[in-house]
Amino acid sequence: MRHIIHLLENDFRNFFRYKWWLVGLISMNLTDLFIMAIVYNRMLNPEIIQQIKSYFDFFAPGLTVTGLFASAFMIGREINMERRQEFHRYMLSLPMTRLELAFGRVLSGGLRGMVYMSPLLATCFAFIGFPTLMQFFTILIVLFFLAMGISGLSIAIAVSTTSLDKFVTARGLVYYFLFFCSSVFYPLSLIEQLGQEGKFPMILVAFAKVNPLSNASDLIRSFLLGTPSFSFEMIVSVSTFSAVFTILAAFAYIKLMERT
Amino acid sequence: MVVMRAIWFVSQIAFFGLIASRMVVVEDYFRYYVSGLSIMTLYSAAIFIGFDIYEEAEHGVFEYLLSLPVTRRQLVLGRSIGGGLRAFIYVGPLICVSLYVIGIVNPLNFLLALFSLFLFAFGVSGMSITLAVVIKSSDRFDILMGVLDALIVRLSTAMYPLSFVKEANSLYGWIASFNPVTFAADLFRWGVGIESNLSFENPLLPFLGIAMFFAFFTFVGVVLYDKTIEGGGWR
Repeated sequence: MRHIIHLLENDFRNFFRYKWWLVGLISMNLTDLFIMAIVYNRMLNPEIIQQIKSYFDFFAPGLTVTGLFASAFMIGREINMERRQEFHRYMLSLPMTRLELAFGRVLSGGLRGMVYMSPLLATCFAFIGFPTLMQFFTILIVLFFLAMGISGLSIAIAVSTTSLDKFVTARGLVYYFLFFCSSVFYPLSLIEQLGQEGKFPMILVAFAKVNPLSNASDLIRSFLLGTPSFSFEMIVSVSTFSAVFTILAAFAYIKLMERT
Repeated sequence: MVVMRAIWFVSQIAFFGLIASRMVVVEDYFRYYVSGLSIMTLYSAAIFIGFDIYEEAEHGVFEYLLSLPVTRRQLVLGRSIGGGLRAFIYVGPLICVSLYVIGIVNPLNFLLALFSLFLFAFGVSGMSITLAVVIKSSDRFDILMGVLDALIVRLSTAMYPLSFVKEANSLYGWIASFNPVTFAADLFRWGVGIESNLSFENPLLPFLGIAMFFAFFTFVGVVLYDKTIEGGGWR
């Protein structure tokens, strides 16, 4: 555990080295909320207004999840850079087990995501309303699982791509696919409707339903807005994603780092 | 960068544009959004020249450029136009995709709109060069451009019609009315024949706005370039 704490300390120090970059990123997220969402509020069609009431309220939880995703994914970029600069040889020489090293990196990526996300979540509570204590802890736990899964996913991509270009391209694909094929920006019912009309592949509709970003956003919405209604599937989806990618990342990190 | 932009562009059309058009009351929102998306992409690509300035400064290319037998004015103008043209080359295939989706009604209007987009891209490049030369720190520039990108795009008609922006907040509406991204986006829409929800009645006005934007940043860029980098002033 002591070794993992050292890793966390190191990764957090790196994270805060980019504090101004983080401030810039948060302000961009807030711009989305306080400009884009407010304008979309005025443009909603009446059917959607009945469903979600206000786009601002609908989008705020989605934005929190988006921020969490972007910041938890940052660990992958650092690991990819370490690999290219052969800094990983130093990491492998540290007096800790490979499992501690791998788990420590996934954990620090996840915790960094949680730290970045907290002002966005606080904004969400301040403008939409506060959950009960039980709901609050459920949100935190689910978001932590999500952050761990995202961190794992980014590490798995980082160690399996040899150049920054490939990593950035893979990251772009994953980013946009997970963001746009989810209920972060729009209600799931719209995606289902397009699927039923044959304008959207059913496989993507199915993916949007199980997408952890959809489930995490909808979980926060269910507690703060009451719609969609809460279901345990939301927690199961995020937990499964987290478990799969945390294990996969740890395994890939150990195997691929030792190979080169 | 090109691949990233292309992925972003296609996902925006295939997912956000398609789904969001079901969410809003704006008539023909899908085509409206796709045309705005082309301008957002052009803006982001034209900004990139500023990052090149830092790379050149780091590798000593700046001194080489200053030693060339060209005037400072030619140098800045050349960089602005080069940055704008490069942005067009990057974004050209994506604009073709959006034209395929939107279609063109009047080729003459489209050519006029395209010319104004060239000026817009040169102006954005000039702005990027000006800010890069003033700030002199790649980190700060990176952050400022990110924030500026978010503000300038969202406070424009790239994503939504001006009437809704004004309705949402009068300050947002006022800024959007004078935003060069608004001029470029709406001129492009006028050029391709999306005439509902335009922010102007006479296309000459936004065209003049873009020409002024281009002239201002080219002029300011020349002055600042001259004052800031002469005699190793960059460092």
